[in-house]
Amino acid sequence: MTDAVLMLAQADFPTPMGVLTLNHYLFVSTAMFALGLIGFMTRRNLIIMFLCTELMFQAAGLALIAFGRYHLNFDGQTFVIFILTIAAAEAAMALALVVLLFRRRESLDADLWAELKG
Amino acid sequence: MLVLLILLPLVFGAVVLLRPNAEARRWALLGTTLCLVIGAFLLGRFFTSEGGPMKGVGSFEWFPALGLSLSVGVDSVAVLLIALTLLLGPICVGASWTAIPESRARLFFGWLLVLQAAMVGVFAARDLVMFYTCFEFTLLPMFVLINEFGSTNRHKAATKFFLYTFTGSIIALAGLVYTAWAVGTRAVGVDGFTMDIATLTEHASRVLSLREQGFVLAAMLCGFAVKVPLFPLHTWLPLAHTEAPTAGSVILAGVLLKLGTYGIYRFVLPFVPVAVYEHAPAIAVLAIIGIIYAGLICWVQTDVKKLVAYSSVSHLGFCVLGLFALNSPGLTGGVLYMINHGLSTGALFLLIGFMYERYHTRDMRQIGGLGAKMPVWSTFMVFFVMASVGLPGLNGFISEFLCTMGAFVSHTPWTAGEAAQVGATWGPLGPWFGFAAGTGVIVAAIYLLTMTAKMVWGTLREPPDHADHDDDGPHLPVDLTAREIMTLAPIAALCVVFGLFPTQTLIDAVRTDINDQVAFVHQRVEEAATSAGEHLAAAEQTRTEAPGSAGNPAETVEPGVTP
Amino acid sequence: MRMTTITEAIISAALAQHGSSGAGEAVAAHAAGVAEHAGAALTSVDGPMWLGLIPLLPLLGVVIIAILACFNDKSKLPAWISVGLIGVSFILTLVTYLGWDGHSVIHTRLWEWIGLSWGDHPGQTLSSGFAFYFDGLSLLWMLFVTGLAALIGLYASEYMEHDLGLGYCRFFAAFCLFVFSMSCLVMGDNLLMLFLGWEGVGLCSYLLIGYFYKKKTAVDAGMKAFIVNRVGDLGLLMGMLLTFTTFGTVEYDALFTQIHAGTTASGVPLADTWQVWAIPLLLMGGAFGKSAQMFFYVWLPDAMEGPTPVSALIHAATMVTAGVYLVARMMPLYTADPNHVALTAVTWGGTITAFWAATIAMAQYDIKRIMGYSTISQLGYMFAGLGVLATTGGVFHVFTHAFFKATLFLACGAVMHGFAGQLDMRKLSGLWKIPGFQITVIAMLIGCLNLSGFPFTGGYFSKDMIIAEAFVTPDSVIWGSSWAGWLLLLTAGLTAYYTFRVFFRVFVGPVVYEPGEDLHGDAEHFHPHGPKWAINLVLTLLAVGCIASAGLYFVGGEHGWTGGMVHASSAVVETGHGKHGLLFGKNPHEIMFYISAVFGFGGILLAAWFHGPVGLAGLLIGNRTKADVVRMDPIARAIRPISTWAEHKWYVDEFYHLVLVTPLKVFAYLFSWFDKLVVDGLVNLFGGMPKVGSDVIGETTQTGVLHDYAQRMIAGVAVVLVVVVLVVF
Repeated sequence: MTDAVLMLAQADFPTPMGVLTLNHYLFVSTAMFALGLIGFMTRRNLIIMFLCTELMFQAAGLALIAFGRYHLNFDGQTFVIFILTIAAAEAAMALALVVLLFRRRESLDADLWAELKG
Repeated sequence: MLVLLILLPLVFGAVVLLRPNAEARRWALLGTTLCLVIGAFLLGRFFTSEGGPMKGVGSFEWFPALGLSLSVGVDSVAVLLIALTLLLGPICVGASWTAIPESRARLFFGWLLVLQAAMVGVFAARDLVMFYTCFEFTLLPMFVLINEFGSTNRHKAATKFFLYTFTGSIIALAGLVYTAWAVGTRAVGVDGFTMDIATLTEHASRVLSLREQGFVLAAMLCGFAVKVPLFPLHTWLPLAHTEAPTAGSVILAGVLLKLGTYGIYRFVLPFVPVAVYEHAPAIAVLAIIGIIYAGLICWVQTDVKKLVAYSSVSHLGFCVLGLFALNSPGLTGGVLYMINHGLSTGALFLLIGFMYERYHTRDMRQIGGLGAKMPVWSTFMVFFVMASVGLPGLNGFISEFLCTMGAFVSHTPWTAGEAAQVGATWGPLGPWFGFAAGTGVIVAAIYLLTMTAKMVWGTLREPPDHADHDDDGPHLPVDLTAREIMTLAPIAALCVVFGLFPTQTLIDAVRTDINDQVAFVHQRVEEAATSAGEHLAAAEQTRTEAPGSAGNPAETVEPGVTP
Repeated sequence: MRMTTITEAIISAALAQHGSSGAGEAVAAHAAGVAEHAGAALTSVDGPMWLGLIPLLPLLGVVIIAILACFNDKSKLPAWISVGLIGVSFILTLVTYLGWDGHSVIHTRLWEWIGLSWGDHPGQTLSSGFAFYFDGLSLLWMLFVTGLAALIGLYASEYMEHDLGLGYCRFFAAFCLFVFSMSCLVMGDNLLMLFLGWEGVGLCSYLLIGYFYKKKTAVDAGMKAFIVNRVGDLGLLMGMLLTFTTFGTVEYDALFTQIHAGTTASGVPLADTWQVWAIPLLLMGGAFGKSAQMFFYVWLPDAMEGPTPVSALIHAATMVTAGVYLVARMMPLYTADPNHVALTAVTWGGTITAFWAATIAMAQYDIKRIMGYSTISQLGYMFAGLGVLATTGGVFHVFTHAFFKATLFLACGAVMHGFAGQLDMRKLSGLWKIPGFQITVIAMLIGCLNLSGFPFTGGYFSKDMIIAEAFVTPDSVIWGSSWAGWLLLLTAGLTAYYTFRVFFRVFVGPVVYEPGEDLHGDAEHFHPHGPKWAINLVLTLLAVGCIASAGLYFVGGEHGWTGGMVHASSAVVETGHGKHGLLFGKNPHEIMFYISAVFGFGGILLAAWFHGPVGLAGLLIGNRTKADVVRMDPIARAIRPISTWAEHKWYVDEFYHLVLVTPLKVFAYLFSWFDKLVVDGLVNLFGGMPKVGSDVIGETTQTGVLHDYAQRMIAGVAVVLVVVVLVVF
């Protein structure tokens, strides 16, 4: 790959609404990640917590795609497709587990579960 | 075809798990026998067809970005070890026919097949990651076999076995990955990150500095020496062997320990030859200590299985010694030792297992003098003891002799006047190593004959509650059954064939590969020495030209680096 | 008067066989020239493949007998198979000998055994074929090995009949395996093949000594034999490897050619290297181990626990002479050393052992053990003979010894067989008068006469050759060789004494007997049963062989038949002695016949005086009336500490146990303890540390609450991030 193409690719992300740089994407990604993190830390509902982790996942995915585009390298996208697939599978598992947990205690409060206390 | 040998046991493993318990052992026998037949075919094709050092290759890219591929291929050493693995497969199934309660047969035979797949995978791997994955994956089935089917102390033994070898292997992984990283980043002509063993072998010794080679050697030895096991990293072995079920012990002694020596042969020697050359005497000393130390410990054991387990430590000392002699006889001896030890010690474990199935004790104070009661068993016992003790004409001698000879003739000239010792080869050891290892032969005679004297000769001793046990489990005749003899007979036959025709069967088979390996190591060490000499000369020149600013000292201490 | 004439006639005939001993020019012949090894100059011919059958037929016997054992055979078939196959081997050997031209080496190569090559230069190929090498030396050995083995197999067919269906198959399988191994040892074409046979005979010796495996002493004796031999084998192995590094080969032909050239394979003159004495010394270690010399002799007396045919064949006639064979075979190497370091060691090792074992034999009561010690002693003679460069004498003594010692053992075996295992000479007497034992007694007498060197027996001639040569060889060549000669002469006297001590006490005198411990009925009604046809036939044949072996001294060329055989082999020595040694100012070869006869007669007369019975008029002057009371007793009491020590074998076994076995065992226990506590302890310590740590940390941090974990994780990531940021930017 010639340097010219790479420089062109890295210059900007042309869109109909104006020029988006890498930083824009990273900013969105960071915001999503932070939201997910805060949500995970503060909420006690298992389902909400789970959704927050998904949010963080996607934030990471977004960053990967943005970087991949920036470097004109498709490994980032490959990873994201992996992540999406795995996240889907994991969501199915996790929700099933949440249902099972709910059946045990009739509550979704995460703090009710402390069996791992060592 | 190699891929088939890995997949087929897995398929049969699945079948075993899906079919009822009562059928498990039959499926397992069918699977392992099928593999053996394919393996025999492969062996025949391997030695009749033309090809490079890694023949029978099948490969597909797995994860090219990280340089990973699932690629299999074998050289003559690997193919012999695969053959050994495949041979022990049906034998282990046959030996466990009645020893494993039917209610748990699926678990046992299923894992046994998985284990076989993993072991073949180790020897067949042409890719570092695949090698390592299979290497570690052998732990899991073995853990289950010991933990679920072992004797009284099995949980402790299984945990120790797993943790000890796993810890070592992790460090080895670090060394291997570091090598791969160094090759990927530094080597000229390597496109990106690669895990291909042949490529790594070609470049590793050139891109690693002497200092780095030392660390990589230490890291790799952490993994492989634990597996061998080399003194003083051997303590997991007696415990694991003693507690494992018979088939587990056979596989453990027959193949799993060889993973360590195979790792040394395949990775340690060609990856870091300069460090190996430098540290070989120290490692050889450890091996010799192991030979004598473990041998003496054997002598005072009361548990017969533990005795044989310690004898493995002693025996594999010879193997390591041969490998680190870095010459043709030594390496040939080391490789042959892998095969021969697998056969003779495997057979000893089988015999002890058969005895244990009848008497439920391994304590030589309680049981012994079986010569009159179990004549067939005793005959086999004496036979395999002799194979193990290194009697010429049986297989053990060839490898023991070549290892000792390798150490003996592997030396740089003794005195300046003797520069051209004609029978001596280039190498880091010397006659004294050969002599010290030779004393191990005496020790081996002492402990193995003591064992024979207790187990076979003398007046009959049986455990007092022997009669009580006759009810539980299937009833076995006093002496060996036809099935049990069938498991031992092929090993015995091979012992004789390898003992009388070692050249035709083994030595010629591995000769080219081993000579190439030796030449490779030799060349790399000479290269490093030359470049170190040039560096020294250059530094000297710098010093004389510009007194006061004595050049860059870093240049002088990194002879392994090719700029 | 007439007697003297005959004596002189025989002696002069005997002297005529000594090319070097007749007159003055013989002395000059000794003085002439440098070392010359005819072995290297022998021409080489390719032998037929069927020569391989000589060792392989007995091996086939092992297989057949193993199959018979599988079918639980209870007949005497194993014996007949063994005798038949070994007999065929003997005939094949004989055919080979008769077809041999007398001066060349026959090579037969069956297949490559251990072959390894790592380059094209000399010394980069280790090649050892499963190949055979026939020269005079190996033919001579093979003739008596296969011949005696066939005869003793026949003897054993009757001797072992108590064990039909029990150990009969096992015995003959090991017996055949022994003949195979011994053939490989003797016929092998290289040192590795020799080693194959060497260890193989060790295994058979182990199996056969421990044949009565329910007896602890037998099992221990077998183990002792194997392990002591292994110590010696280490020397042999190292010698072999050193040979390889020095000469670049282990094959006899190439080796002798190289030694003949006088340099190592890399061109260094042999005399300048240290290997020239180190290799022979190391090989000597192996030879001494197998032949029970010096420090290694302790296993052989114990080996008498084995069945008597085994003692006769393995531990007297054949296997124990393997060490002598090795030294004789490697003679070029021994003589290559200008200082003769190794030969001096061989001489003195042999001489001291000969004397030492004879002193022990004088005080033993177990007749088989006495024969065992006498074997050690006679092997000492053979080594002394080789050491003083009398290879012909040494080899001739091997040959005669094989016959007379086999006869002696088999006669003892016949006694043992007839008296339910009784071997104590205090409980046996007067066998001459017991019906059925006459052939045994005559055979025994012939054997004893040979052993004690009674004039004109085979033992007399062979022993004389050795002792005379000890005086002939100047002290400057072999250090103290004439002193060794005097010690050997003294030992000859002792030998005659202890030999006839047995004969006079057990075979003549008043009839007294007690059954031994193998008795099946009750002792009251015990009747000794004389041997049947097989044992009697074999004893007769062997006794004839003993007498005939003396005749070998007079046939053939110089130094008799044996001399011819040795001359056509690597064992020949024609070293120029600086000067010919003299004894009483005369040629030792001439007067040795008289001197040694004096010592021999002296010994026999002493034995007769101290142990002889009443009633054998004229010749004997003893006065023994009971089995266990003899004239020697008061003297033995008078020299008490010495006599008891000798009876207890000078406490050598106890000494070895104290300084070798016990410390080793202590080390073993120490290591075992060390392994469990320290080596494994360290492992457990490392394994335990995380557990201890986790117990402490776990109490405080592992709350089990999901949010706590998340918090700490984030905190951790934050810390890492901060660090990264700080470091990178």
